Amino acid sequence: MKLLRAEFENFRLLRDLRLEFSTDPARKLTVIRAANESGKTTILNALQWALYGDAALPGKGEEFRLHPIDWDASVKRRVPIVATVEFEVTKYRRSALGTRETRRRYRIVRTAFEEVDGRTSRRAHSEVKLYALNDTGVTPIEPPEAIINDELPPDLREVFFTDGDRALSFIEADVAVSTKRDRVQRAIRALLGLSVIEDAIYHVKKSSAEVNKQARAIGGGSDLNRIASRLETIDEDIAGLEGDLDDAKQQFEAFDEKVNETDRTIAATLRKGDKEKLQRDLEAAKRKIKQLDAQLEAAGKEHAALFRGRALATDLLAPVLDEAFGKLEALHDQGKIPSTTIPVLENRLSLNVCICGETLDPADAEGHRRRHHIERVIAESKRADAIQEMITDLYYGAKTLRPLGANTWLDEYKKVVASRDGLQDMRNDAGKEFRALEVQLDALPDTDIQGLREVLRDYKDQRDRFLSKKSTIQTQLGNLQRERQGLVQERDRLLREQKKGARVLAEAEVTQDVITVLQRAYDRITKEELAKVSDQMNANFLEMIGADPQQGAIIRRAEISPEFDILVYGPEERKLNPDRDLNGASRRALTLAFILALTKISEVEAPNVIDTPLGMTSGFVKRSILRTAVRESAQLVLFLTHDEIAGCEDIIDQAAGTVCTITNPAHYPKMLVNNPGVTERKALRCECNHRSECPLCQRRSDVRAELEMAS
Amino acid sequence: MADKYFNPFAAIDIYVPTEFHPDVVRFCQSGGNPVDQSPFPRMVDLWFAAVCVAARLNLKPAEIGGDVPTTKIIDGAIFGSDPWRVHTLMLLAIGKTGDVQIVSEPRKIMNLASGLAAAGLPKVIEMLKDGDGEAIWNLSEAVDGMLRKKSAA
Repeated sequence: MKLLRAEFENFRLLRDLRLEFSTDPARKLTVIRAANESGKTTILNALQWALYGDAALPGKGEEFRLHPIDWDASVKRRVPIVATVEFEVTKYRRSALGTRETRRRYRIVRTAFEEVDGRTSRRAHSEVKLYALNDTGVTPIEPPEAIINDELPPDLREVFFTDGDRALSFIEADVAVSTKRDRVQRAIRALLGLSVIEDAIYHVKKSSAEVNKQARAIGGGSDLNRIASRLETIDEDIAGLEGDLDDAKQQFEAFDEKVNETDRTIAATLRKGDKEKLQRDLEAAKRKIKQLDAQLEAAGKEHAALFRGRALATDLLAPVLDEAFGKLEALHDQGKIPSTTIPVLENRLSLNVCICGETLDPADAEGHRRRHHIERVIAESKRADAIQEMITDLYYGAKTLRPLGANTWLDEYKKVVASRDGLQDMRNDAGKEFRALEVQLDALPDTDIQGLREVLRDYKDQRDRFLSKKSTIQTQLGNLQRERQGLVQERDRLLREQKKGARVLAEAEVTQDVITVLQRAYDRITKEELAKVSDQMNANFLEMIGADPQQGAIIRRAEISPEFDILVYGPEERKLNPDRDLNGASRRALTLAFILALTKISEVEAPNVIDTPLGMTSGFVKRSILRTAVRESAQLVLFLTHDEIAGCEDIIDQAAGTVCTITNPAHYPKMLVNNPGVTERKALRCECNHRSECPLCQRRSDVRAELEMAS
Repeated sequence: MADKYFNPFAAIDIYVPTEFHPDVVRFCQSGGNPVDQSPFPRMVDLWFAAVCVAARLNLKPAEIGGDVPTTKIIDGAIFGSDPWRVHTLMLLAIGKTGDVQIVSEPRKIMNLASGLAAAGLPKVIEMLKDGDGEAIWNLSEAVDGMLRKKSAA
């Protein structure tokens, strides 16, 4: 699918805006140049709203205003909001004459009305229409979602439409590990279109429930009936709980995100309010706590390792091992181990000289006779030697298990206790330090900050509530699944005893086998595709940052682990923390590398629309990110600031088929040279490319003024 | 050690009496349980600790199989990741039976170990549960006490 053009009406800053996108395969880049606060993110939201509806808006559209903020309700209270996107879908069909290509064009039109009443507004549910465009006119298509879901799967929305800053969400350190994993996992599973297998598993599970009903019917009032009924209830409970678990996971993730957003807002407010030192101290305290928590976790793992290590076995078993080694030593003293006869005799044969000095040369008659005798002795020894060899292996191989008299486990335990206690004390101190800073924060007269902290506390409570709900449901599910397993075994045993049970049992076994096969296929596909995405991401990433291990680069490789963590490795496979050890440019490169890898491996021909992809980057990395993105994407639409463009003009010259500029007239007079002559806030478009400017878009080069406006 | 003797238990399943299975699961991290409440990384680690504790306390191997319902926790291939455990089980069998030739009979060795594990499991579970702390600390203190007691003696 390729985007052709888009039109927006009364969508926030986009009162009346039309955009075209390049579809030329040789110049597949579209650049929309816009300074901060000119409507880049709004265009990204508007495109997604057109295609996916309210669910694609920030906060799923709740309390998200669509109409322009300066809308004059005294003239018209009911605001029509329209987003139109035209796109092209290419289908390929293999025939005897080769691959045939069919292109179809569509137009999707989403409309909504907002009633503006003073400072509030109400929005009715949006309406969407999809039309197929052809030479003779337009044909409506029903339902519109079917085409969109096929061509741009909603689960991959964030991969196709990416906010450069939000893209970091796949690796950002502040959100919970489970949140990051869920994001990566969801994106990968969505790209594989695994819903087909999920549906199949769902249907076979339903058949399994039918089989269970048959078992209940056979059972009459017996145990079989009771067990089958209980199984039915359990299956219903499991299905319900799985739904609840998904919901709790999503809620947890949403609140986790809100906690981090609010945290960032507080940090920004503190910096603005001249409380920079307090903010720095808070950040340092948080970092320290995070570091200590990681060390405590590692120390806990070391503690647990004591219960799988050999010291526990050797110390506990010391008396028994003494006995065993005593037996082996006795055999050693008797010369039975090590078994040396065969190697010595074999050695003499190879030397052609016997231990007694006589010849063993096969050419010599006597030598040949002696040789034959020795070979017979070796063969006999080998037969009796199998056990002796095992004992010899054990004697030498188990040397590290010999009790040394000292209690190794106790020493290791002592060290672990010292480490855990020491770290816990440090963690307690760090916690106190953090709380003291929070008290300082609470004492600030700044009402904005207090309000935000109130909100933060509320979000944290909600997040913790869903975390606890998640764990409770997981425990309940675990218990139910264990109970189910036991009951199935018992039901099958009872079915075997019944005459009519054989057929039902056979059906039960078949459905279970099918579920197992589907589940394995599901897991295997996930695993294999995960590896492909991981390799592609690594290739993109290393190219973007210019890391060459041969040249001693610190970053050696990146991968997605089987647990769906995005990991980065340095020399000697040392793990690097993407948050602490990577600079801003590398972090951005890593997430863009992941997004481009996902799009490529999905083999979905889809656009990548990315807002501010080159923020925080400069020089080689900036150019390299842009070059890689152009090469890897089927259609690349980038929203770039003037700063992002600087230094990349030649790449845009070569790769861009379409470039335009968007200007916010409200930037006059601080940042714009000329008065655009527009009183309302709206994004204005001109045809200026990345190298040119006109009276509308000509900007002052006062960076300070621009920063002030942006903040 | 020659490869063919590397893990003679690879094809033998490891069972625990079903009555202890819920506790075995509970005290292992396999299902994502937290370390302090579930000190054993894997079920086989708990099973092995039970073997060691039973041997340490000179417990008689419990009958396993027959009428006692059992649940498989894993197969012996798991020892491939900790080869020292193969040696330990062989030495334990020699020490307990006094017969060096037992090394050539992996099933006999595993039966003995499983019997010891079944006898040691209730003790290990008690060590995990008894105490004021979380399971990892209760167990650590119990092992500490067990080693010191015998060391002093």
